[in-house]
Amino acid sequence: MTIKKLNYNTMKRKSIKLILSLILMTIVSCDEPVTVVTNIVHPDGSVARKIEMRSLKNISGSGSIQVPFNDTWKIKDSISINEKGDTTWIKSAEKLFKNVDEINMEYKQDTGVNKSISRFTGFKKTFRWFNTEYRFSESIDKKLSFGYPIKDFLNSEELAYFYSPENMKKERENGPDSTRYKALNDSVTRKTEYWGAKNLVSEWIGEFSRIAGGYVTSEMTMQSLKPREDEFISVIKANEAKFDSLWSNGILFKQFFGEANALKYKTEADSAAAIVEKNFFVDFKEYSVRIAMPGKLTGTNGFIDSSKVLVWPVKSDFFQTEPYEMWAESKIPNVWAWIVSGLFLVFVATGVIIRINKKG
Amino acid sequence: MIMVTEDNKYKSVINILKKSTPVPDSAEEVEREVIKRVSKIPHQGMNISDVTDFLFGWVYIGWVRRSLIAASIILVLVFIYQQGIILKQINYLSRQTVVVDGAASFNPESAIEKRLMMYKMNGRRFASKKITISEKQMEEIIDSVNALQIKYKDLINLINEDPELKNYIEKKLIENDHKKIKL
Repeated sequence: MTIKKLNYNTMKRKSIKLILSLILMTIVSCDEPVTVVTNIVHPDGSVARKIEMRSLKNISGSGSIQVPFNDTWKIKDSISINEKGDTTWIKSAEKLFKNVDEINMEYKQDTGVNKSISRFTGFKKTFRWFNTEYRFSESIDKKLSFGYPIKDFLNSEELAYFYSPENMKKERENGPDSTRYKALNDSVTRKTEYWGAKNLVSEWIGEFSRIAGGYVTSEMTMQSLKPREDEFISVIKANEAKFDSLWSNGILFKQFFGEANALKYKTEADSAAAIVEKNFFVDFKEYSVRIAMPGKLTGTNGFIDSSKVLVWPVKSDFFQTEPYEMWAESKIPNVWAWIVSGLFLVFVATGVIIRINKKG
Repeated sequence: MIMVTEDNKYKSVINILKKSTPVPDSAEEVEREVIKRVSKIPHQGMNISDVTDFLFGWVYIGWVRRSLIAASIILVLVFIYQQGIILKQINYLSRQTVVVDGAASFNPESAIEKRLMMYKMNGRRFASKKITISEKQMEEIIDSVNALQIKYKDLINLINEDPELKNYIEKKLIENDHKKIKL
């Protein structure tokens, strides 16, 4: 009975999402291509970077490009037509970077659709005598200054599910353990919705306190507003449908802080809301990052795709309140060091044996 | 005259000495003496013993011997530690990472929902996007969605109140779960 109820609730949520999606798909253009960027890391620190974009429309201009590339790249355009006659436009770009600094330079000069986020790569090579260790990472800076880390809201299983690629989630939800994963998905969705609302309110409080500074009454200080976060969230949820008009008319603000404060701090409240809107609702186009490391892989926070390459989905939720780092570590054995060490051990052992024999 | 006499004397002495050859007491003794003397002459080349003495001379110097043995032990320990750590990491990875079939895909539902929220928060304006419908039409769609949500809630309440209908819908939803929908 509990499981049935759970399924039913999940489907309720899914159905409303589907209705919204179908309506909005017709009006909001989804022209961004499905993009996968692959970094092939070499032991000398150079990185061969490949970008592949697939779209149902012809890919042109930088407006829809998630990962930056320019004329210095080797660019190839092609089309693929399936048995149904559907055409897919494929654009692939490839370039060998001498080091990560060159990649970071391109990120800084990005004019694409994701230019508002700060992205950078890192490479570290450590000599450990028997082995040389390599670490490569692609990172994105966090967007919110006053948000809460997602790990405060999800347990370890939910956290792993939250960062999973969508196709893996779907595969699990349709697999033999589907009931468990649907329940997990429902729990993650519910908790992340609350996390999002909490971040929104927390960010507004933080920005408002920063703008208003020390010139606020005692009930408008950060210390006074923070404990009221859940109260604000419930008011927003109750008025979600007409949130914008209620906010612009000052009705919500009056409800939160009283008429006197609403009039006194209207400018500061609106400025804070504008900053929150800019940081919170990042117009970010998702893509995937793949990393191929030199030698044997020893550590990562990513997933392994069907071609045995590490893969990470990149979604705006992942870097909202904490920096999102996609990292991989590997090692290559130093054969010469193994030979030198072996010879040294044989040399010392022989010396010791000779001494024992002479002594005897 | 005197010079001639001395010269003769010298020659006669030499002749006497030449004629009187020494008679060795023991040939073996002489042989031993020769070998003994020859063996005392230093060799120009090196034999195995010399090489061994040269390479492993350190074994007779206490502090060098102890240092090299300590270095060997440290080297072995470092090797065991490093390989142990790597093995542990690889085992952990093989247990933790999940093989994903194909590259990561995205959930368009969440992206569209976020855009709707963004649109609402943005005072119902499109920032830098091209739009093929009017703002009024967009308003109508948002209002329709809101109205639809209210009707949807009513429908859910209706289903909840009728157990027979609820069971029927649940059954249908479970059936649909096992079917793949092609859009």
